[in-house]
Amino acid sequence: MSTSAPPTPKASVVKFKAALRKAVRRNAREPEIDFLNITAMMDMMTIILVFLLKSMTTSNAAPSQGQDLTLPKSVMVGQPKEDGVVVTISKTQILVGNDANTTIRLPGREALAQSGVEAIYKRGGPNDLYITRLGEALRHFRETDLKIRRQKGLDDKSEAVIIADATTPYRLLLEVLYTLGQSEFGKFHMLVLSGSGGPT
Amino acid sequence: MAEAIDPPLSPAQRSKIRRLSQPREIDPADAGGELNVIPFLDIITNVLMFVLATLPAVFTVTIESNPPSIGGARTRPPDKPTLNLSMLIVNDGISLKASGGNIAPGCEGPGPGITIPAKGRDPAGRAQHDWAQLRTCAKKLKDAAPEFKEETQVQILAEPGTDYQTVIWAMDAVRQSDDGSEVLFPDVNFGVAK
Repeated sequence: MSTSAPPTPKASVVKFKAALRKAVRRNAREPEIDFLNITAMMDMMTIILVFLLKSMTTSNAAPSQGQDLTLPKSVMVGQPKEDGVVVTISKTQILVGNDANTTIRLPGREALAQSGVEAIYKRGGPNDLYITRLGEALRHFRETDLKIRRQKGLDDKSEAVIIADATTPYRLLLEVLYTLGQSEFGKFHMLVLSGSGGPT
Repeated sequence: MAEAIDPPLSPAQRSKIRRLSQPREIDPADAGGELNVIPFLDIITNVLMFVLATLPAVFTVTIESNPPSIGGARTRPPDKPTLNLSMLIVNDGISLKASGGNIAPGCEGPGPGITIPAKGRDPAGRAQHDWAQLRTCAKKLKDAAPEFKEETQVQILAEPGTDYQTVIWAMDAVRQSDDGSEVLFPDVNFGVAK
């Protein structure tokens, strides 16, 4: 003989859903954050580090040195000034800013010590101190800088940062400085290694 | 016809409601629906730390200078005694010149010759200059008269083949006294020999 219990009567779907909604509302609570989310901090850190690396690589304060460019040493200490157009004199070329079009190829050191850069780059022959091509490159920077200085209310003296190799002959250095002076650059900052061994 | 009475919730329905109404836990990986970039950032951080640690620490400084002048022409004579120190770097040594003329060897007063002769030559044949003697001489000249105390300018001239490093060391030598207590000639102008 069968002894199965009679089926339990179920509430209607409408009643079930109403009860479910009521229970959900009753149990609702703000989600509790019990873990540390450092993703935002790491994002920020990465951006700062990338910016730091970028500024370090583009800063004139620490130019990359190699066989072609070794900065001279000085006993001076302090902060380098980075205002102005950068003129780099390496063993093989002169560069204004980062513009490769301004590159002036240099002859060997013996020739440089005698008469500086080649006569084809000079205004009046090998004995002239004015380097025409350098002067032309500087003119563009001078015009831009002059506008900025006037907007800022500064004097009209443009500035230049000289990054030169330690073995640069005085003659070449003088030609570059003279050309800068003729191009209305009135103040030079000569970059050297700080406090790293003085004269013996 | 009478409406059928809705029966109460059955135990199975109440159990289902209890189960479904529990708030769901948020998986940290799904928080905010963002991409989990933490492993990537870990790698980046390690790489950047390595790059920063291997960067050479180079400290630089700038030395200020003005455009070179040809011949050093003056507009008018000074109204008080001036030193007008000039320094000529040659392969045999360093010659100093002041308003009174060339400084004699040994820095003992006016006279011809190289003021500070080179100590010798390095294997490459370059002169080894006596920077200590140059500094002593510069201080002696500055102390020679009270009017010279205010002068801070020195003009540098050099042979065409003189290294930039030698020029910088010459500037260092006349910048300040041995103990650094007294400023000598920190303002440098480059000269062009006529």
